[in-house]
Amino acid sequence: MKKEGTEVSRLTELSVRYPKAVILLTFLITIGFAIQFPKVRIDTDPKNMLPATSDVRVYNDQVEGWFGLHKDMMVLGIANEKGVLNQTTLERIARITEEILKLKGVVLRDVASFTTVDNVVVEGGALAVHPLMTQVPKTPEEMEALRSSLFENPLFLDRFISRDGTTTAIYIPLEEGANGKEIADRIQEILKREKGEEQYSLAGDPVARDTFGAEMFIQMGLFAPIAGMIMFIALFLMFRNLALAATMMVVAMLSTVWSMGALIGLGYPVHIMSSMIPVFLMAIATDSIHIFNEFYFRFKEVGEKRAAILDTIRVVGPPVRYTALATAIGFGVLALGGIIPVRVFGLFVAFGTLVIRLMSFSVLPAVMMLLKEERLMKLVGREDLERGASRWLGMIGKISLERSKTVVAIGLVLLTLALVGITKIRINNNMVNWFKRGSEIRQADAVMNQKLGGTSLAYLVASSEEEDAMKRPAVLRYLEALQRDLEKASFVGKTTSVVDVVKRINRVLHDDDPRFETIPDAQDVIGQYLFLFASSAKPRDLDTLVDYPFQKANIWVQLKTWDAVGMREVLDRIRVYTAAHPPPGVTFKPAGIAYFNLVWNDEVLRDMVRMFIIALILVFLVLAASFRSLRWGAISFIPLLFTILLIYGVVGFIGKDFDMPISVLSTLSLGMAVDFAIHFIRRFHQRLAVDSDVKEALLWTAARPGKGIMRNAVLFAIAFSVMVFASLTPYIVVGLFIVSLMLVSALLTIISLTALINLFHPFLLKKG
Amino acid sequence: MRKFVTPLTVLLVPLALGLRPSPVGAQTLSGEEIMKRSSLAEFYPGDDMKARVLMRLITKDGGERIREMTMLRKNLQEGGDQRYFIYFHRPADVREMTFLIWKSPRKDDDRWLFIPALKLVKRIAANDKRSSFVGSDFSYEDVSGRDVEEDSHKLLREEKVDGKDAFVIESVPKDPASADFGKKLSWIDKVSFIPLKEEYYDRRGDLSRVFSADEVKQVQGLWTITKRTMKNVQTGHRTEVTFQEVKYNLKLSDALFTERYLKNPPPEAVR
Repeated sequence: MKKEGTEVSRLTELSVRYPKAVILLTFLITIGFAIQFPKVRIDTDPKNMLPATSDVRVYNDQVEGWFGLHKDMMVLGIANEKGVLNQTTLERIARITEEILKLKGVVLRDVASFTTVDNVVVEGGALAVHPLMTQVPKTPEEMEALRSSLFENPLFLDRFISRDGTTTAIYIPLEEGANGKEIADRIQEILKREKGEEQYSLAGDPVARDTFGAEMFIQMGLFAPIAGMIMFIALFLMFRNLALAATMMVVAMLSTVWSMGALIGLGYPVHIMSSMIPVFLMAIATDSIHIFNEFYFRFKEVGEKRAAILDTIRVVGPPVRYTALATAIGFGVLALGGIIPVRVFGLFVAFGTLVIRLMSFSVLPAVMMLLKEERLMKLVGREDLERGASRWLGMIGKISLERSKTVVAIGLVLLTLALVGITKIRINNNMVNWFKRGSEIRQADAVMNQKLGGTSLAYLVASSEEEDAMKRPAVLRYLEALQRDLEKASFVGKTTSVVDVVKRINRVLHDDDPRFETIPDAQDVIGQYLFLFASSAKPRDLDTLVDYPFQKANIWVQLKTWDAVGMREVLDRIRVYTAAHPPPGVTFKPAGIAYFNLVWNDEVLRDMVRMFIIALILVFLVLAASFRSLRWGAISFIPLLFTILLIYGVVGFIGKDFDMPISVLSTLSLGMAVDFAIHFIRRFHQRLAVDSDVKEALLWTAARPGKGIMRNAVLFAIAFSVMVFASLTPYIVVGLFIVSLMLVSALLTIISLTALINLFHPFLLKKG
Repeated sequence: MRKFVTPLTVLLVPLALGLRPSPVGAQTLSGEEIMKRSSLAEFYPGDDMKARVLMRLITKDGGERIREMTMLRKNLQEGGDQRYFIYFHRPADVREMTFLIWKSPRKDDDRWLFIPALKLVKRIAANDKRSSFVGSDFSYEDVSGRDVEEDSHKLLREEKVDGKDAFVIESVPKDPASADFGKKLSWIDKVSFIPLKEEYYDRRGDLSRVFSADEVKQVQGLWTITKRTMKNVQTGHRTEVTFQEVKYNLKLSDALFTERYLKNPPPEAVR
């Protein structure tokens, strides 16, 4: 520790001696990082939250292989309040399908629409297989025929036609690696040429994901700089010095450029999580405000620039160093977790934190050296403990001192409430809800889910040890019963399996007699039906439902929500049903995007929480080490713990889902609350060495370093309140919570530490 | 149809005898003439034919389904109507299933299927020759031939395929809606007029399927593809077909190719 101390002060000395050289050197290094930016890759696929080798991804890939499934599917909803079965709308459907088939990136052989999906029917006693609609019906009879073939076929109802007849859909699978947003944009162009009574809605995971990616880029490029500008203005108003305000901003920007440049340069893609790095670094950079804050006080006392700088660094240096260490360790721990984007995020925030600290001891003093003394003299005249914020803070300190027990009691009540709130937390994630309520994507999704079977898809794979098991009547009957049970789950809109095909063929071969819409009693009958279906329709229609040796069957489960909890309910139902009704030699395993969303959501949150707890422990140890006392470590830890519990409590009470953005956000408390506590206690100790009256020292601390703390918090709260205007909810949530986090943790630090130290100082200071 | 039967027969006689046509004569052929000769060589050899056909349907991941059948074919008219009778041996649960196709180049086929489990003969409306043949990568059209006049053909160049001289023909459907492909390239052997390779491009212009004649030999003096593969390059699925026990000119009776025989196939159809 000592060695580090001397090194830093040598760095500061050098910076004070050669300010221009230091600034130039920093600038050059920054350019080195900045030139990495054009290599940026964006990755918004939640799949990459888990490594390609993770069990769930390996199994998903296998399932896609067994059943020839596509990773990505878009759904274009076409609605007409008067019903879609009219000539104009049907002609549009035909034209739109034809245009979609020309788009690059679309798997044209599997686009499913009225004009492409095969229908198995009886026509004049003959079995016929042809697209549902080969030609737009011209006569009322033809229209009626189309209507009945839609409504009487369970394979089509809720998929190609809503029960009220007002909505149909075109299912558009995408080739691997195709950009959903680009294809969505091109489909929108096609739709512009088809304006009429119809309403179109484009939904599906790839649209949401890739639109989110594009939006994320805009938000990152827009709100980080806006927040920066506002911080700059606020800083200027606080210190009335353009150069100082600019320097703080520059430190924040530089650390962002360094760590994002390093991240991009090392070949990591920018993920939703790492896109928040600039925001975090800006928050952490505001800690440098303590240096300015103290410098202004010092300069007024000393009146000489160089001495004031060195004095400032001497007193503010150790707390700043320890806060940096605690923050870097806190985030560094995330780098040890199992989730790659979380690791990248933790690693580069930790790196950025160290960059900020390096600059606090080099670039900042260098800039201060270049300021003109006369101008400074005029400005610092305002800096007085008796005035403004300091006086106000002094009063808060006073109240905390005089009513320490009340403060602690209120604290305990709040803590109890927070714990109650935490028990109400609902862990959930919903990517569609990352968009605002009024957004096109969310509306499209809502419309489709209201009218059709559901946009979120899960697969339930039934496997058997023996070949041809999926032709056994007992197995098919079990699948059918399970399907009916799953359809009772609140979010399940539709299920489809090989059973539906077998029943359909049975009916068609018996001259379309509805009484034969059943599962035949003999295995060879089923075998021949399936052979017939595979031989007459598009073979792939069957392949998506059974594998080649008929050992596995795939039940498609469509959910009307992207909520992870919706899938959890499905899993619970399967567990309960299979426990109550032993399956006939088959086992069930879930897959598909809806299931994957649940798994990564759980894994990421579990990892975040685990790493966060480890980080908390390590931060506590750093705090204890920094004060060389477990007791002081514990006291300084209280504001941090309290802030986190309060935030989680509020999340629980207001019913906000505990999702990825919230979990990322809670790590920010590591960066902030710890900073405040270290500054407060360090400076209190320093003051106590000069003035042995505990109460006086506490009042001074609440007023003077307290002002730095409040400045830091207010500055940040103002800047990040602009994120409330973002178009993506994770950013709004982050903005809102940063604002409350900063203010709460700053106030909590000042109030709780003043009260606690006042109450417990005999015990705390016992050793000396 | 009739108008080119006579000259073609003249051309086919030396072919059937395994004689090399003179290269000068070949070069004067147009794309369309080459494709007409190729269609006859591939789909119409002999008056009739019998073969044991083994189809292996193979997924990208190596999953496999077997179709084994005895196939009988009789030409009613060279380059014209044909009859097919198919008896399935495998998969096991469709054993005894039979399939009858009356093929006509200019109109929809007539198809009948006997479903043994229901003891039911069902007529299959076949308004789409592009649909898959028994779940394979071959369509009905690939198995029994597409009318040459439905496409316009252009001789692009001549090049060697596996050491054999071949014409490279580009075929484009006259009516885009009549085919799954937007364009087809065929490599036609100059000696046998058998297609050695074909590439199908979808309507977007992307390669979709590739056909290859993997083993071509003479049976009773007639060029016969005994091993062939159709690969869907977009899905990675492929179908490998072997023709065994190929026999031509068995003097199969017309009566055999009637609905009556579907339920009770004659022994020669079963073995």
